[in-house]
Amino acid sequence: MALTITCPICGKRNGYEFRYGGVEKGPRPNEEGLTHTSWCDYVHMNECVAGIQQEWWFHRDGCGVWFTTYRDTTTNLEVEKPEVDR
Amino acid sequence: MNRLSQLPTLRINPAEKISFSCNGKIYQGIGGDTIATALYANGVRIFSRSMKYHRPRGLYSLDGESSNTFMHIDGIPNVCAEKTALKEGLAVKAQNIKGSPENDLLSFMDKLHWAMPAGFYYRSMHKPAIIWPFAMKQVRKMAGLGKISPSFIMHGKYDEIYPQTDVCIIGGGPAGMSAALAAAKHGLRVILIEARPWLGGGYDYRASEYDSGMPLHQRARDLAKKTEETPNIRVFTSAAMVGAYNNNLITAFQVGSENDHYNERYIEVRAKSVVVATGCIERPLLFENNERPGVMQIGCAHRLARTYGLLPGTKAVFSIGHDLGIETAIDIHDLGLKILCVADIREDGQNPKLVAALKERSIPFLRGWLAIKAHGRKILKKVTLSTNQGTHHREYNCDILVASAGMTPITGPLIMAKAELTYDNHTGFFLPTKLPAKMHAAGRLLGLNHPLTIDASGRHAGLLAAADCAADVQGELKQAHEILDQLPGPERGARFVIPPVKNQKCFICFDEDTTIKNIDQALQMGFDVPELIKRFTAAGTGPGQWGIPGHNLPLYVAQCHGDVDVSPKPTMLRSPLVPTFIATYAGANHDMYKRTPVHDSQKKAGGIMQRIGIWRRARYFSEDFSCRDEILNVRKNVGMFDASTLGKFRIWGPDALKALQRVYVGDMSRIPPGKVKYSAMCNDDGCLADDGVVVKRGEDDYYFTTSTSRAENTVEWFRYHTRYDGWDFHMVNLTDAFGVINLAGPNARKVLEKTADTDLSNEAFPFVGYREFTLSETIPVRAMRLGFVGELSYELHVPSSYMRVLWDLLNKSGEEWGIRNFGMEAQNVLRMEKGHIIIGSESEQRTTLHDVGLGFLWYRKKPEAKTVGSFALKDTEQQKGRLKLVGFKMDDSSRTPEDGSIIVDSEIRGFVCTARHSFTLGESIGLALVESHLAKEGTQLEIFEASAGDKRLNATVVPTPFYDPEGNRLRM
Ligand SMILES: [Zn+2]
Repeated sequence: MALTITCPICGKRNGYEFRYGGVEKGPRPNEEGLTHTSWCDYVHMNECVAGIQQEWWFHRDGCGVWFTTYRDTTTNLEVEKPEVDR
Repeated sequence: MNRLSQLPTLRINPAEKISFSCNGKIYQGIGGDTIATALYANGVRIFSRSMKYHRPRGLYSLDGESSNTFMHIDGIPNVCAEKTALKEGLAVKAQNIKGSPENDLLSFMDKLHWAMPAGFYYRSMHKPAIIWPFAMKQVRKMAGLGKISPSFIMHGKYDEIYPQTDVCIIGGGPAGMSAALAAAKHGLRVILIEARPWLGGGYDYRASEYDSGMPLHQRARDLAKKTEETPNIRVFTSAAMVGAYNNNLITAFQVGSENDHYNERYIEVRAKSVVVATGCIERPLLFENNERPGVMQIGCAHRLARTYGLLPGTKAVFSIGHDLGIETAIDIHDLGLKILCVADIREDGQNPKLVAALKERSIPFLRGWLAIKAHGRKILKKVTLSTNQGTHHREYNCDILVASAGMTPITGPLIMAKAELTYDNHTGFFLPTKLPAKMHAAGRLLGLNHPLTIDASGRHAGLLAAADCAADVQGELKQAHEILDQLPGPERGARFVIPPVKNQKCFICFDEDTTIKNIDQALQMGFDVPELIKRFTAAGTGPGQWGIPGHNLPLYVAQCHGDVDVSPKPTMLRSPLVPTFIATYAGANHDMYKRTPVHDSQKKAGGIMQRIGIWRRARYFSEDFSCRDEILNVRKNVGMFDASTLGKFRIWGPDALKALQRVYVGDMSRIPPGKVKYSAMCNDDGCLADDGVVVKRGEDDYYFTTSTSRAENTVEWFRYHTRYDGWDFHMVNLTDAFGVINLAGPNARKVLEKTADTDLSNEAFPFVGYREFTLSETIPVRAMRLGFVGELSYELHVPSSYMRVLWDLLNKSGEEWGIRNFGMEAQNVLRMEKGHIIIGSESEQRTTLHDVGLGFLWYRKKPEAKTVGSFALKDTEQQKGRLKLVGFKMDDSSRTPEDGSIIVDSEIRGFVCTARHSFTLGESIGLALVESHLAKEGTQLEIFEASAGDKRLNATVVPTPFYDPEGNRLRM
């Protein structure tokens, strides 16, 4: 509830306005050569990082855009993009 | 009781008389009273009884630091009488008593303390296991505070606000107000939260000197006036801060006065910077019977006199550990209370001026002494004082003992915001050594006592907060810092003294009846961390978590350890910091819903409206809830149905088709011109998410519908599943822009032909056709020939503003063809007879496309589209052990099971989705999801329904559609 999210279009807003869309895992895999296990992992498995992760958010009560941002799961605060990812 | 008058500090209006009742007796209070002060003025000393031992409890802090004055008020239990304003006609009752507060039949519990050691519930009552059911009942009967009637309805208005601000200040005392003024001077928006009904904090009722002869209470009033007059400071009084979270989110509950539009409201403040200036409370003195009515804190006695005009008793003894105690003793003496003696835990360090003032008044003063026992069976009669070491004793007969071990900071907001607190030996306080970003602390909670220092510390913190908001304050800040440095710093606090008494009832937590003996027991059992001892003994787990037990518990545990390396650690506090109504959390409860454009038209036509999802819709059009006539009229003549709640969307752009291919399971590249395509959406597990129709209206331009419940999520869904692709398409949600009427029945064409400007013959506009034309040369219609209810029908989509006209027009045109409205219930039966599903009725979370027999919609030859759900469908297509949708017919055609009834043999095998009596067929039929081995035609199903008791209802699996299996009626 204390979370704020920075929408690329609307700026920093109350976390209530957004819907969480999961951790960033890359685009949908091609169906060719895909196994059901690897597909299931893509859809359902998460690293559950204790620390900073890149994740998807949807500005539901706002401009309606999907975007990614970085959040520290240990403090539940939005953070700058970490150095290693730059 | 006569009130003191003429004091400049009074907050009462003796001219305003207020009548109320308590335990059946009528009392009179005055304007400005709280319930507790009014009762006190009427001689009431015992307010309620304690939870475990049923000990009498009275006025102790006057700030709600314990459950002592929790009472039953106008049907609501556990209302804090000392914080609740008195109102005319209130009905007050003592709680946790059998009999009266004075003669509680359960007071024998107090003698049974030996039988209830620490962790009593955890350690006993479960061995042998057989005693638990009995013990549990007895414990439940005895335990808990307050009773509420099951039929009680909470009246009142509850509101919520979510203000944003630059600086949020918690605490409206001198430090808080100085901080507010300092930040506001730089044009910043400031919110100030104060728990009491007025600003002023600890200065409000004190008469000692602020500076140059001005009393503190005058300073408080000057600051309050300035604060209230500053337009960019928003003041919330009677607002208790209850939560502090990261990101500087502060929550509070505000109690409304009679002129406010709310009884209570929730405030959630989002601030750029926060100043905590909550000040101090008193650390309770530990001695035998330290909670006997008549024992009270310094602030309680002082405020009774100075704020409410009530001298607390006739003869008082003071046992204190802070100069504030001496100051108060002198002031109350001068107001007329006889002070027998002032005992001070401190051996030295008192302000010599105060000591001289005691001497002037011939009040005996004992250094290094403290109270060790309060006598009196129900209320205080006598006090035993002792030297700190227990070497000498003295006794005084008195009715008031003002007891306080010293000051202790209100650290709740800091603890909840995860500030680092360290025990400081000089002040005896937990002081913040590391604060979260953009949070500052000021005032008395830092151990400051000199009024000028408190002001300066507030100003300094206000400027730091202003700096957080990018105000240019560097010069001013430097100056404020220098001023602060030159003023007296934190004062030495009284050291923690364990009373020289053994094995007695010294209460460390009043709410939970936890004594220091209980803590000793926990320590002996090996518990050594205060946080665990808190759990085990329940000390500090009550509503006064922030108050009475707060700091004595860790100090006592550290002292008992005798290990110098173990410094005391404060225990955790949890939101809400002070008790609040659940009603306030629930909020205003506005019944907000959507209405279709023909809401009023339908109501006028006898529609019985019901809340379904976010809409209010017409469910029936007569009192016959079987809807027999509505249904049969659609089958025989023609009916019209308001389908405006359907999700309606336009998607267009060069990549619109790609997006459709991604989310729809069908091949969307093949939508024939002038036709609708029915398709479905699945989630990534192949489970059914939505179904609807798509129309291609032009190049890269589509119009499609979704089920009602999916209308709000569809744009989000499309964009989510295409988020990596960077495709060029646009979407507009037209759900509210278009209304829909479904005109259905064998006469539908005749009705429409009357006003349409186009050829509606079966050849010109066949089944699953899509046409755009005009009705009455005015109304633009997008028409689809669909058959959801199983008859010739036209789904007419028109701009919302035309809906009422269209409604009237069709009613008029259809008169001669027997047109009637039909509602949700009739539609539900009609479509079920036809075997058509409604997502959410015939499907649940785990239901796949194949499970409901819609596998034919899946076009598997478009892997490049990466269709959502497609890959999973390959796996689930042949999966064993899935529930499959079947039609069934009841063996007894007069008996219909309830929706949701379960299908059983020796185990649960499925459930009934929808079942109704079909007037069309003269049968009772339904759709059910059953285990696949029961899905074969002719299988006997046993249905369990609660109302049928042990008797199972019998049904047989039959093919669907039940009605018109060849589909001739749709194609008429
Ligand atoms: Zn936005």
